[in-house]
Amino acid sequence: MLGQSDLSQIPVSAFNEIEVLYGASGLTKTSGAFGGVVNLVTNPNWNNRIHASIAQTLASFDNYSTEAGFIAGSSSFQSNTRLNFSSARNTFPYYDDFTRETVTQHDASVLQYGITEEAFWKIKDKHLFTARVWYSYDDRDIPPVVAGSSTYYPQKMLNKTLRSILEYKLVMKTWNFSFKTAVVNQFMNYRNDSMFINNDHTYYSWFNTARFTYSRIKNLTIKPGVDYTYDYVKSDAYDGIKTRNTLGLYFEVGYKFNDHIKSQMILREDNIDGQFMPFIPSLGVEYKPFNKINLYINANAFRNYRYPSLNDLYWSVWGNPDLRPEYDNGLEGGLTYNYPSENGSFFVETAVSGYYSWMRDMIIWSPVPDNPSIWKPQNISEVNARGVEVSLNLKWKISKLHITFSNNYTFCRSTYQETTSAEDQSLGKQLIYIPENTYNGTLNLNCWNFLLGSNFTFVDKRYTSSDNQSYMPGYPLLNIIFGKEFILHKFVLSLQFKVNNLSNVDYQSVKNWPMPGRNYALTVRFEFNK
Amino acid sequence: MFVCFIFLLISGCSKDPIREKTVDPVSPPPGDTAKLSYKNGIFVINEGNLSWANASITYIDNKTDSVYQDIFESANSRDLGDVAQSMKVLGNKGYIIVNNSNRVEVVSLKDFKTLASITGFNSPRYLEFIDSTKAYVTNMKKNISVVDLKSMTIVKNIATPYWTENLLHYGQYMFVTCIGSFNESSANRKAQVYVIDTQSDMIIDSILMGKEPVSITVDRKNKIWVICTGGYNNYEAPTLKRIDPVLMIVDKSFTFSVQQGVPSRLCINPTADTLYYIYGGVFQMPVSAGELPAEPLIPANGHLFYGLAIHPETGQVYVSDAVNYVQSGYIFKCSQANGQVLHTYKAGRIPGSFCFTPSSQK
Repeated sequence: MLGQSDLSQIPVSAFNEIEVLYGASGLTKTSGAFGGVVNLVTNPNWNNRIHASIAQTLASFDNYSTEAGFIAGSSSFQSNTRLNFSSARNTFPYYDDFTRETVTQHDASVLQYGITEEAFWKIKDKHLFTARVWYSYDDRDIPPVVAGSSTYYPQKMLNKTLRSILEYKLVMKTWNFSFKTAVVNQFMNYRNDSMFINNDHTYYSWFNTARFTYSRIKNLTIKPGVDYTYDYVKSDAYDGIKTRNTLGLYFEVGYKFNDHIKSQMILREDNIDGQFMPFIPSLGVEYKPFNKINLYINANAFRNYRYPSLNDLYWSVWGNPDLRPEYDNGLEGGLTYNYPSENGSFFVETAVSGYYSWMRDMIIWSPVPDNPSIWKPQNISEVNARGVEVSLNLKWKISKLHITFSNNYTFCRSTYQETTSAEDQSLGKQLIYIPENTYNGTLNLNCWNFLLGSNFTFVDKRYTSSDNQSYMPGYPLLNIIFGKEFILHKFVLSLQFKVNNLSNVDYQSVKNWPMPGRNYALTVRFEFNK
Repeated sequence: MFVCFIFLLISGCSKDPIREKTVDPVSPPPGDTAKLSYKNGIFVINEGNLSWANASITYIDNKTDSVYQDIFESANSRDLGDVAQSMKVLGNKGYIIVNNSNRVEVVSLKDFKTLASITGFNSPRYLEFIDSTKAYVTNMKKNISVVDLKSMTIVKNIATPYWTENLLHYGQYMFVTCIGSFNESSANRKAQVYVIDTQSDMIIDSILMGKEPVSITVDRKNKIWVICTGGYNNYEAPTLKRIDPVLMIVDKSFTFSVQQGVPSRLCINPTADTLYYIYGGVFQMPVSAGELPAEPLIPANGHLFYGLAIHPETGQVYVSDAVNYVQSGYIFKCSQANGQVLHTYKAGRIPGSFCFTPSSQK
């Protein structure tokens, strides 16, 4: 909304699937989303009749959560209702570097709840109507930084969001059409007693998207579309009410040269409040060299931009109405290979990809020239980002034992390409708080409804100064999970015990913000299927 | 995965907390710690980033021009805190005002080890001594704290509903610049200079100022000078005002052109006849001048000049460059005659103010 949506506020259980569209593929959904778009998707299971579930989790530091779901329907209608509630006090102990003693975290409570209702209605596999309503409530305390202060001023953030989405899809033999309209209403209060801030923001947004897909011509798919968004913000922190009209024209062409080569081109042009934004094209090619080997090679070239958020533009005192959009020109390419064994007992998939992107006019909050006491977002930075992602996933079934093993490694080098004076030592240095190396691995073993799982993450050092003279060292985190499912006719009872940060690493992700040590969570889940 | 487990076991063995590290090891403190070490030099108070708690103190030796980084952390094996605003010295003690940690850290000038942490402030800004036993500390929120230097505690508060900033000890009075209520807009803030009787700790007078009076100094003819930034977001044109402390009135006022941003960090030379301030570049102005100087003594040229001080003995100009706020800053020692850079020193994150050791103050 005002720039970003906080993923920690989205209960993941509310969606079947979180689709993260990296880089250029994000253009298919919206413009102005660097680093990809997260799209929350639920797909109905038309074979479902009744499915009910309830789960309760008890965790360390006075953290509790409850989830319940009820899905019912027929082959042409499905309804999905979900409720979630969680209360966390996060009263974890940590070592205070100032007082040199172990103290308990305070003012870090989070209270969240939400309700989601989705209805899907299908007529003759031709028309699909979807209606969704999602309400979420999130009230959280922002804990203080560890700085040896005995005085604490409360800081709080309250967020209430109601989203309503209507969608229609028409599927014909050679063409289809989709239309989506959504209204988002968000209320936010930010209170910071230290700064005497107590601001209300009310935000309305109306999104409309239409897509038409035509595939009558052999090997050619044409997909034109139009998007319209209206934003309205009333905020104590803005000087009056701010609105924005965004009209986007979208055109996608897919062409299949032969069984080996496919290509896709996306063109997008946005108009914001009567002003045309830069044209954004993207071109991609996919090549499959062999008929019987699942090896894919793809390459993409794209351009994207990010329009400044309403906060960047209008936040009173600090906003900068003269901001230009950020640009990003990039290239990406990769290789994917997978091998499924004929009997289905073994599957391996590996992917390697690389990217290079040139970001210009990046918006960075920094002191105004000649007035260092005022910080404003400004188009001052040039950043080059390049990186490599490698993944390896295995699934293996040995009689009753199921093994899944996934590995993901990323290398990211993002560097400052512009400096202001001879003393500025940032040129060519890594951006602050962006790790160069990140690894995540998961190993799960399943046997006779027992689960033994582990997840290992390593986040390498992150620099805390743009001259790369100081850094937060890397940290490893290991979580393990034990589970058991009891299946009784149509009922499933599952128990899960999770240990997070097993080796009790005392780490900080951000300087002087404490993180919890070893902690536990116990979940009991009850399901009914008909 | 197996490799990771091994790695984890290795890293898990070291139970040391994972905390920020620096690439270059911090230089050791000067000389023999048994002797008075910090006797002839300059402390640079590096603010650090708000809520990062990365404030630090850099020490520059006057004789050798050697620079010692993070001297507080070296001496005390912990960080200084969140936003170090200013520092004052009296006798063999240093008082560091750590704004967002709401503390005044009292250190020995011998080894920079902390002697006490005075707590109970409300976003403290600056400290000024009244005598060897008493000091005032201004706060952004609420009142002025009266500190007993013997017991190292706050003994009294002088109620001011407004944000008080800089102080000047003049005779038996303390002149305190007051920005106005922290939570009000520029338009509603009442900017003034309070006059406090240091015997009774009572506000006895107030003088209306331009928006945001941030810096105060006194010249050889006992006239008090105040820089007013004009308020955030350039509410009004910035001004330099002169106060007659006998009549308690503003008897002269100079208006800056708004185009150049805001002036700050008003300082005076050892003979108290020339004013210095930052206004993009560093400007120099004789107290007898009839108008503001048009050209800077030291042009900014891409630097982000942030802190300014005049050496109390040599009269040389010390100006800090905060660069881009997220890396180490620099200090330039410049000639007061032509602004030429005589020496460049590396400092810590956001060097904001300076404090001279007693011997460099004669």
